[in-house]
Amino acid sequence: MSLTNFFQLLISGIAMGAIYTLTAKGLFIAHLATHRLNFGQGDFMMVAAFLVMAFLVAGIHPVLAVILVAAILCLMGYLLERIAIRPLDALADRTTPYAWILTTAGVALILQNVVELIWGKSAQYAPPLFSTTRDSVVSVFGVGVFLEELAVIIVAFVVVVGLYWFLFKTRWGKGIYAVAFNPEAANLLGVDVRGVIVLVFVIASLLAGIAGVLIGPLVSLHPHIGLIFTIKALAVASLGGFSNPIGILVGGILFGVAESFSNYWDSAFGDLYPLLFVLISLAIKPTGLFGEVKADVR
Amino acid sequence: MTRNLGYLLAIGLIVGFPFVAPNSFYLHLAQIFAYTAIAVIGLNLLLGLSGQMSLGHGGFYALGAYGSALLATAFGWPIGFAILGGIALAVVFGILVGLICLRTRGLYLAMATLAFGFMVEIAAQRWTSVTGGAMGLFGIPQLYFGDFRMGPTYFFWVTAALLLCVQISSDYIFSSRYGRRLQAIKESESFARTIGLNVPLWRTAIFTVSAALAGLGGALFAHQSGFISSEAFSIRLTIGLLIATVIGGLGRSYGPILGAAILIAIAETIAALHEIGYLLYGGILLMVTILFPEGAIGLLNKLAPTRKVKEDPGNRGETASGRELDIATVAGAELRITGISKSYAGVLALAELDMNVTPGSVHALIGPNGAGKSTFINVVAGLYRADSGSISLDGENVVALNAYQRARLGLARTFQNLQLIQGVSVLDNVMLGLRPSQVASADFLHWLADRRHEARERTEAMAILDYLGIGHLADLRPKDIAYGHRKLVELARAIAQKPRIMLLDEPVAGLNPQEAEAIAKVIARLRERGVTILLVEHNMDFVMSISDRITVLDFGHCIAEGTPAEIQENPAVIKAYLGTDEAAA
Repeated sequence: MSLTNFFQLLISGIAMGAIYTLTAKGLFIAHLATHRLNFGQGDFMMVAAFLVMAFLVAGIHPVLAVILVAAILCLMGYLLERIAIRPLDALADRTTPYAWILTTAGVALILQNVVELIWGKSAQYAPPLFSTTRDSVVSVFGVGVFLEELAVIIVAFVVVVGLYWFLFKTRWGKGIYAVAFNPEAANLLGVDVRGVIVLVFVIASLLAGIAGVLIGPLVSLHPHIGLIFTIKALAVASLGGFSNPIGILVGGILFGVAESFSNYWDSAFGDLYPLLFVLISLAIKPTGLFGEVKADVR
Repeated sequence: MTRNLGYLLAIGLIVGFPFVAPNSFYLHLAQIFAYTAIAVIGLNLLLGLSGQMSLGHGGFYALGAYGSALLATAFGWPIGFAILGGIALAVVFGILVGLICLRTRGLYLAMATLAFGFMVEIAAQRWTSVTGGAMGLFGIPQLYFGDFRMGPTYFFWVTAALLLCVQISSDYIFSSRYGRRLQAIKESESFARTIGLNVPLWRTAIFTVSAALAGLGGALFAHQSGFISSEAFSIRLTIGLLIATVIGGLGRSYGPILGAAILIAIAETIAALHEIGYLLYGGILLMVTILFPEGAIGLLNKLAPTRKVKEDPGNRGETASGRELDIATVAGAELRITGISKSYAGVLALAELDMNVTPGSVHALIGPNGAGKSTFINVVAGLYRADSGSISLDGENVVALNAYQRARLGLARTFQNLQLIQGVSVLDNVMLGLRPSQVASADFLHWLADRRHEARERTEAMAILDYLGIGHLADLRPKDIAYGHRKLVELARAIAQKPRIMLLDEPVAGLNPQEAEAIAKVIARLRERGVTILLVEHNMDFVMSISDRITVLDFGHCIAEGTPAEIQENPAVIKAYLGTDEAAA
């Protein structure tokens, strides 16, 4: 492998890792506050990717298209909480503790089918967002790198920083941590617990939306790609122990890079190795590789 | 006997069905029903009974199918052995995936199983030299016992007979100590460990059983059609099995039978509406989980006339009246604690604590809130690990033993935050504490043969409840009885464990004086029979009246030890409870 090759693989890996991180952040934030999450996180991402593609193809200005997609995904997050999460509270012990997995997976299946009915089963190619063609290349330190991938990395980084600011510096972010720690106490302290729960699902959905907008130009889209992103995002989030936001960032990037290189070495099964590694590491260290830093919060 | 009548009826139905089926299509559907139901029963045991989530059962099903198909074709094994081989493959992977659930649970297990199912699917698609990929494996031998024309009938008989066996086993699990224990593990791990259950082992075992049943279902599937391809093992298969489990009625033994039937009806309908297959699956999953959480079985039960549930008449101040507690005299254990320390994130909860509890005595541990009392109980019971020091029970150092191992040595405890299993009756809660009187096989035969299954355990548990004056509540669920009664149920469960030493964490907190007096009598009675008792309590009248010795803790340090009279005079104790003169001034 040449050095150029190495750098290109590295950048591709970081770009995909950034996508996984964004998706996993959504899982993390919902799980933090509610101990539940959306098993259709990847499918929400897929819907966003299809939507932004449709808007761009329809000639809508990219900025407007992105805003529209973000708004739609926020609405979807709100609806998910109303339809698939909130009704479970009323059932209490009449159902299994993990009923939310079933309901959110049910919503994911519905979304897959709806997308399939609208856009068909065959693979689609989204137009690029930041450049004129999908394969525009820029030179970084003399190495040709896809512009789209570079843009994905930068945008994802900005979003992650924004998320940290929101979580640790704003009133709502503190509210999320308060609810995570003890919903009843948070309620007594005047935190709108219901509002926080809706909020985390809206944020989770929005993060899936951003990931979807970014990923469109990097891969070929079809209605069933969501599942694999859900799986990988779950793997990344569990590397961070579902409790350590920095761990998720590091884990996500590592996962993407590892996948990029293992795909290069074994094109048949390369994408399975990082996943296998995560499973084995979970058996050995159940709190995740980066899980202990904040594990006491719960 | 209605149960066995049902089994006989099922046998008749299985034998007769091929002759009354209108055409071979229905026989084909009945075969699908039988092996699907087997897999669904496995999932129901896992999801419904033990409360663990699997999103990868399609993977185990696929392993069973490929394992059996390959052994039968490439290696020429006879079908029976090939199927066993297929199951073995599913079991091996069940244990491997189960290793993850040994240490983690809930979300992680859901994630791990989802990833596992996905990896199996990918392997089936891409490892074409072995699996044939989407083109599939052909010529998998089918069962026909030499008569090809009767093949489908024979195959139906075999699968349906297997289903019946699996269903009977499932019924047994649900109505025996195994179901009770799985329910306990599902609801409270601390409780399960306290009654001596090796929780990780149970979790892995039930996961493996579940994987094996999925493997059996898959193996039968492979030999039914004689052809399998990776198309059959997509995530849709797992979702289908989940739908069948949920729609039938989670955690009900007969749920899978109904669920599998409904699933096949849906699948046949969807075949015509292929375009919106996922939409229907997803919609059903969502709607059933939210609108009919008890599934079809729950709906049927609603239609049937319901027995009026008795209610707890409330505390009537009944005491451990007339009846005597008929327990054998035991040799109380000696508890010797030396230099136990425990700290949480730098905060010292117990500092180099020493304590000796003489056999057959009542030893109380008191101290202001935050003194480390509950930590101490949990360290002795083995729920928390001490940072240093040793704990010896009759001279045997148990500090390295797990909570369940200590329980088996005769250490029983009650909890300050009551740990009762809501999914089973009060009587069953007490029976959870009992050591089984029969080995599993004898118990199973007993269950199969007559209705007075576990009669001895039942009588024994009932006697304890009667002694405590709450025999009339035996059939109620713990959540339906008064708080004072729940405390008695905890005590009853601990007594049922026939302990040599009992740890009671605030046995009379929240009780009225009469109830506290009743508990005091029970404790006196237990001591009379030789049981060593270590208790933590804030009620000073209670502590002073029943204790032989008292240890006082403050900020993790032992500040006094002695008889009740000595403790009441001790200036350090008075200072800890009332503050010093300077502080008071």
